Amino acid sequence: MRPAALAWRGLVRQPARASLGIVGIAAVGALLFDMLLLSRGLVVSFRDLLDSAGFDVRVTATEALPTAGPPMEEASRVCATIGALPEVEQVVPLNFGLATAPDGGSLYLIGSGPRTRRTWTMIEGEPLPDESPPQGPPPAVVNRNLARDLDVGPGDTIRLQIRSFPAMELVVTGIVEIIFDDAEARTAATTREAYFRLHGLPDADTVDLLLVASAPGVRSADTVAAIREAVPEYHPFSNADFVARFQRTDFTYFRQISFVLSTVTLFFAFLLVTTLLTVSVNQRFAEIAALRALGFTRRRVVADLLWESALVVGAGGFLALPAGGLLAVRLDAILRDIPGLPARLHFFVFEPRAVLLHVALLGLTGVLAALYPVFLAARLPIAATLRKETVS
Amino acid sequence: MSRSRRILLTAAVVLAAPAASAAAAEPPEILVSRQLLESRSLSVGDVVRLSSDPEGDGARPFRIAGVYEPTPDPMKLTSRHWAVRMHLPDLMELNAPPGDPFAAETVSRINVALRDPGDAATFIGDLQARLPGLVATSTTPDAAVFVVLERFHLAIALVTVLGSTAFLLALMVMRADERREIVGILRLVGLSKSRILLAVLVEGTCIALAGAAFGILFAAVMQDAFNAFFQWHYDTSLTFIRLTPGIAVRCVVLAVPLGVLAGLVASWTLLRREIVALLRR
Repeated sequence: MRPAALAWRGLVRQPARASLGIVGIAAVGALLFDMLLLSRGLVVSFRDLLDSAGFDVRVTATEALPTAGPPMEEASRVCATIGALPEVEQVVPLNFGLATAPDGGSLYLIGSGPRTRRTWTMIEGEPLPDESPPQGPPPAVVNRNLARDLDVGPGDTIRLQIRSFPAMELVVTGIVEIIFDDAEARTAATTREAYFRLHGLPDADTVDLLLVASAPGVRSADTVAAIREAVPEYHPFSNADFVARFQRTDFTYFRQISFVLSTVTLFFAFLLVTTLLTVSVNQRFAEIAALRALGFTRRRVVADLLWESALVVGAGGFLALPAGGLLAVRLDAILRDIPGLPARLHFFVFEPRAVLLHVALLGLTGVLAALYPVFLAARLPIAATLRKETVS
Repeated sequence: MSRSRRILLTAAVVLAAPAASAAAAEPPEILVSRQLLESRSLSVGDVVRLSSDPEGDGARPFRIAGVYEPTPDPMKLTSRHWAVRMHLPDLMELNAPPGDPFAAETVSRINVALRDPGDAATFIGDLQARLPGLVATSTTPDAAVFVVLERFHLAIALVTVLGSTAFLLALMVMRADERREIVGILRLVGLSKSRILLAVLVEGTCIALAGAAFGILFAAVMQDAFNAFFQWHYDTSLTFIRLTPGIAVRCVVLAVPLGVLAGLVASWTLLRREIVALLRR
């Protein structure tokens, strides 16, 4: 009989013990799988969000986050300079602020320059025109939360106010979904001209953020280098730079917790398999000695035990994948309740590398866990064990 | 000082109490965060130059009057706590854009202490009605983030308990199996099933209590080490782990019944067998 078949029979002979071992491994394996998903989930999801916006480079005044730092001065000159670079296909200036809605609540207000790429997804109505009309109220698009709260749709007007400056009416041209909005966010976007009029600064020429799309075939890094040379006073960064920075700073809590829990779960799996196999070997000393007396080599006995470990860990690890997947969905739903996060951001993101890592880590744990019981079985004195068994 | 460091220093300037500045001859006083003091090798009494311009133009001297420990904020765990606190007129003078006639009349926020904090909602409503366009919010900390994290940790704890229970049951089954012959002999000499089960129950309770006590003791010893490591790692005074009596009680309430139950279930699988089956080799 082959080692795998013998190990299988050994497990089947004691179904309760084997089942409990597999369930234990499946539970800790599911947790391990989830922690592997969590360790990179936010970064992968955040990178996808950035990429989905259609712009690969951003420019700000300082190293601070786009809405946290000071604005860039001489926005028209900076936009023209960057837009004239051969590496650049399009530049979209954006300003961010807070305004008060007719219901007394606040909302995020975006002032957007002309654009051909989508900076948000249209849900209903018409896109935001590039310029305000010479006569009449300027245009605006609103997100679903604001449209619902104010009960407005395309064609309706909304009255917005910023601080104590005069309130202004805007015509809603459409309802949009803005990529970085959180689940509760109320957001409106209008032209930059209307944005500055609302702020009581009709002649202002500042900008908080420039979205830049590289020309086809140009690498983001080359665009960043070209912008850095053209406007050295400002800070261009690619999506990859942005993600790397967030990875270093803002997402460390979840990386730490995933690392700690991965280590704990691996140790737990190691302890579980070691205990199960050691007790199993202890109870089967006579059986192992008899097999050795019948001609089974040490190597064969070791192979039997390794197979037993592999079967328990393999079955548990296999069950851990769907269990971990279901658990990840639930844990992701819990964490996405954190206020202020983009609604499309996920904490647990499936990647094939997570499955490979899961298999490798559990496999290594299974091998390490089998070492001690294998050591016990390999050093078993055949004659003394058989005599002891006969006497007892 | 490099350009990026200068920018960070400028960005870290925060609003302080609206008190009058010192005499014109003496540089105005500021408080510096411990982290900034240590990282820039500053000392109390030093004169530093601060500017709101990234290039350092228009920098003004300030004397460091003291050092303070920033209030720990879990949401800013990884950001550098480089900050200074200065008198409001000094900040306004430092930050005023040239030619802005409203600069001296503009503040970012006004903190208001109510006689009765319970009136916050009414006060906010009244204020917004009188001053349209003003955004007023309560300073009560938003507990939502921590509620979510607590739910997340609880979910992970439940999965861990599930795995532990399976582990415990497997151990108990093996332990009961090892005592198969002893149980058979005890039954043979006349001990009833309930008597043996009672013995298992008492033994299981003792082991579960000892295990739970060890676990709590281990956590109590390790929490200081964990806190010390993460406080060093993040350069913060935040407490990361705190073993409270409530948590200890919850652990005991969960662990002891689970341990006892696992022992009983495992033993019952033996006791329901015939004596002959127990003694068969």
